[in-house]
Amino acid sequence: MREDRYKNPETDLVKICKDAASKIEKGAVDEFEIYAASSVQNEIKIYNGDVESLSFSDSNGIGIRVFKNKSVGYAYTEVLDEGKIRDCIERAILNSAITSREKYNYLPKESEFRYKRKKIDSNAIFKEDFLRFSIKDKINIAKKLEILTKGKDRKVVNIDNLVYDDSISEVAILNSSGFFNRYKTTVCIIYINVISKQGEATSTGDCFDCARSPGDLNLEEVSAGAVKKSVSMLGGKKIKSQKVDIILDPLVSAQFLGVIAGGLTADSVQKGKSLFRDKVGEKIFNINLDIIDDGTMASGLATSPFDGEGVPKGKTIVFKNGILNTFLYNIYTARKDSTSSTGNASRASYSSPPDVGLSNFYIKPSSSTLDRLLSLVDNGFYVMDIIGLHSGANPISGEMSVGAKGLWINKGSLEFPVKEATIATDILSFCKSVDMIGSDLKFLPSGGYLGSPSLLVRDIMVGGS
Amino acid sequence: MISESLIKKILKSLLKSGGNFSEVYIQKKIANNIKLEDKKIENCSSGYELGCGLRLCFGDITFYAYVDSLQEEKLLNAAEILSSAANSSCSRNVLNLTASKSSYNINIDKYPGEILPEAKKNILLEVDKVSRDYSSNVIQVTSRLLDSEEEICIANCDGVYSFDKVVKTMLAVNVVAKKGKEVRTGYKSLARTCGYEIFNLKSPKAIAEKASRIAVTMLDAVNAPVGTFPIVIGPAFGGVIFHEACGHGLEADAILKDASVFNGKLGKKIANSAITAVDDSTIPYHWGSYKFDGEGHHSSRTVLIKDGILRNYIYDLKTAKKSNKPQTGNGRRQSYKHIPIPRMSNTYIDNGKEEPESIIKSVNKGIYAKEFAGGQVDPVTGDFVFGVSEGYLIENGSISVPIKGATLIGNGPEVLVKVEAIGNDLDFAPGFCGKDGQSVSNEVGQPTIIVSGITVGGTKI
Repeated sequence: MREDRYKNPETDLVKICKDAASKIEKGAVDEFEIYAASSVQNEIKIYNGDVESLSFSDSNGIGIRVFKNKSVGYAYTEVLDEGKIRDCIERAILNSAITSREKYNYLPKESEFRYKRKKIDSNAIFKEDFLRFSIKDKINIAKKLEILTKGKDRKVVNIDNLVYDDSISEVAILNSSGFFNRYKTTVCIIYINVISKQGEATSTGDCFDCARSPGDLNLEEVSAGAVKKSVSMLGGKKIKSQKVDIILDPLVSAQFLGVIAGGLTADSVQKGKSLFRDKVGEKIFNINLDIIDDGTMASGLATSPFDGEGVPKGKTIVFKNGILNTFLYNIYTARKDSTSSTGNASRASYSSPPDVGLSNFYIKPSSSTLDRLLSLVDNGFYVMDIIGLHSGANPISGEMSVGAKGLWINKGSLEFPVKEATIATDILSFCKSVDMIGSDLKFLPSGGYLGSPSLLVRDIMVGGS
Repeated sequence: MISESLIKKILKSLLKSGGNFSEVYIQKKIANNIKLEDKKIENCSSGYELGCGLRLCFGDITFYAYVDSLQEEKLLNAAEILSSAANSSCSRNVLNLTASKSSYNINIDKYPGEILPEAKKNILLEVDKVSRDYSSNVIQVTSRLLDSEEEICIANCDGVYSFDKVVKTMLAVNVVAKKGKEVRTGYKSLARTCGYEIFNLKSPKAIAEKASRIAVTMLDAVNAPVGTFPIVIGPAFGGVIFHEACGHGLEADAILKDASVFNGKLGKKIANSAITAVDDSTIPYHWGSYKFDGEGHHSSRTVLIKDGILRNYIYDLKTAKKSNKPQTGNGRRQSYKHIPIPRMSNTYIDNGKEEPESIIKSVNKGIYAKEFAGGQVDPVTGDFVFGVSEGYLIENGSISVPIKGATLIGNGPEVLVKVEAIGNDLDFAPGFCGKDGQSVSNEVGQPTIIVSGITVGGTKI
C-alpha cells in the first residue's frame, strides 16, 4: 500500500488562505476572516478477525466570514479553484445583506482577550510518533483489541462493532486585521461494543480510548472495560420505583456534565435559554466542587493555541467551590456582556461560523476512591450506562430523565444487575444533590472534551416497575 | 459531472489488483442555512460541496476513499491507492454502463436557488412574529431554514449508472416559553424533498403556532408519574418508537452480525396481528424518499411486518448479496464521504381500524404521549428510551393535565406484542437518523396506538 501519501498532509493552508484573501476586493467588505482546514483520516472496522472496511480520505475546505455595514455573511467551499473561491466570497457578501446589523459585529481585537497568547507545546497536540504507524500497524492494533476482548470471558459471544479512527488535521485562520496562525493535531480513537450471553440473557457493553498517537491507546483497559460492562449486566432485573442514592460512573457523570454545560455558554444565557442566568456568584452545588474549562491542558483533546476565531484559549474556572464564577464567551457574546472572550469560539468545521462551545471541560477530582463512595451508600444504584440523554435531557427547561443500567448497591457492596431503570431529576436539583466527588477523572470526546470523576448523588428518583 | 469514459476508467482501475466490486459515487451539493434567533437573522451561510467516493470490495472487505475534487488525476490516484491495497485473487470485468431506471419521478416547482434571500428572511421573520404573538409567555424563538440542491451520479462495475437531482427544504422552529420559574420548550418542523412549494402544503405560520402551542401548554405540566402504565402513543412522530426500537433491528447489517433480536424471525409472528409495518422510499416528496438509493438502486416499498408476521429485512447491496435476497433500495449514505449501509427511509406502522377517540376512552389511568424529543435504542437487545416532549395524563377515558419530564423505557420486541389497538389516523413526521456516524433524512409514521404497559420514568410516585 502506498501509505506515504496518507501520512503527511502537504496541503498548503498558508497559500490557500492568502490566495483567498487576495481575491477579496478592497472596499467590497469592511473586514473578513478566512478559516481553512484540512485533514487526512483513516477508519478501520474489524469483524470476526478480519477487516470489514477501511476508508481513507484527504480533504480540505475554507469558510469565509465577511463583515459589511456591521452585518455578517458566511459561505464555504470544498473546491478551492479560483472560480469557486470567487463564488464563495460573493455568496458571503450576498448573505451579509440579510443578516441583522449589530454594533458588536467586527473582528476580534487583542484588548478583548481574557488570556495572553502563550505558546502551547505543539508536541502535546501533534505527536510525531503518530506518523510511525502504517495502515497495517493500525489494522493490527484493532485486530489485537478484538482478540484480547474475545479471550476475556467465555460469555462474550460477539463483537458487533469495533472501529479504529484517526486523523491528522490542520487549521489556519487569517483575518483582515492581520491575524494569521495555524496548528496541526493528531488524534486517534478506538471503540468496541461487546455482546455477551448467558442462557436467555443478552447484554451489550462498550468502551473506548482516545489518544494523540495509536501507540498510546490502552487496549487492555478498553477490552476490560467493555467486557466488564457487558458481562456484569447479564440477567438484569427490574427494580421498584424509589428515591435512592446513586453513584454515577465517570463517563455517565461526564454526559450529565455536558447537559449542565449547555447552560454555561454566554450565548444560551443571553438568549434566555439558560437556567444559570443571573446566577453568577450563587452557590449552585452544595459541596465545594470546581468545574474548569481549560483549552490549554496538555492532555486534552480539545486543546489548541487559539479558538475558532483566532482568540487565545486559556483556563477558565467556571465553578469555584460550587459557586458559579463565569460563563464561557466568544468575542460577540463578550462584547454584549462588556467582558472579554474566554477563547471559547468553536466551530465544527469550515462549514460553520464560530459559535460558543466547550474546550476541555471537567469536574476537578478529589482524593476519594470509588470504594469510599460505595461505602457511603446503604441502599442505592451504581449507574454504569445511560441511554436517551439526547432526548431525555433538556438544558433549557432543566428536565433530565434517562434510561439507566447498572448494579444495585446494598450496604456498600454491589449486588445484582438492574435493567430498564430510569433516573429523573432536573439540572438544578441534581447539582444540589451531588454529595461527593471521586478521584477517577475520565474524559469523553463529545462536543468538546468532557471530564468527570465518579459522583455520589443523594436522593434521586429511580424508576422501574 | 464527469465523462462516462472516465468513470469506466476509474471502475477498471479500482479492480486492477482484483476484487468483486467497484463503484464511483459523485455528489455536488449547494446548501443554504439561515438562522433566526433573538428576533433577528443571526446567521446566513451558503456552502458548495463536491466530491467523489470510491469503493472497492473483495469478499467481505470494503475499501473506501474519497476525494473532494473531480480532477481526473486525483480520482485516478485515489483509485490507484485503493487497488494497490487490494491484492486479491478474484478478478472481474467492468460491464457496460446502462442508465438506471426508477418509477419515482417528481417535479420540483420552486428551486431554492431561485428564491431570493430576502424572501427566505421574510419566512423566518413571520415565524418569529407568529410564535411570539401566540402568547406573552414566549421568550425565545429559534428558527432555521435549510435548503439544498444536489446532483448525484453513481456507477458500478455491474453496469449500474444512475443520475439524480435532489432538492430538500426544511423549516425547524424551537420555542422557549417561561412562566414564573417554569421554562418549557416546543419544537416543530416541516421538511420535504422539494423546493419552496413546501409551504403550499403547510404554512410557516402553522408550524410556528404548533411549536408555540407545545411550549406554552407544557408550562402548566405537572411532574410525570413513575411506574408502568398503559400508554397511548400519538400519530406521526410517535412512529419514532417503531423506527428506533424495531426498525434498526430489521436493518440487515445487524441481522448478519447476529446483533439483532429479530435475527432468525422471518415468517414468525413478532407482533400483534393488527400490525403491518412498511418502509417506503417512494412516497412522493416525503423527507425519506428518493429516486435512487446511495448505490444507484431504485427506491421501493418494502413490507416489513404483515399482520404481525415478520416478512422482510432492510437491505443494501452488500447485505442483500450476502443473504441471497433482492435489494430493497435502502443502501444509503450521508454524502460522498461515507460508505453506504442499510438504512430506513420512510418507515411506518400502517393504519388500523380504531377511532383514536375510542382508544383514549378505553384507558382508565394512563399516559398520552403526543410528541417525542427523540430516543435511543440498543439494537442488540431492543432496549429503548424515549423522551416525551408533549405528554398528558389520561384519567377515566379522557386526556387531562400535561406532564413534564416523562421518559418511556422498554424493549422493542416486547412492545410489539403489547400493542393492543391501532387507530386509523396514520400521519408522518420528518427527522434525521444517526447510525455509524452518518446522518440521513428519515420519516417516521404511525396512527394512534395503545401499548398495554411501558415504564415511565418520571419523578412522582
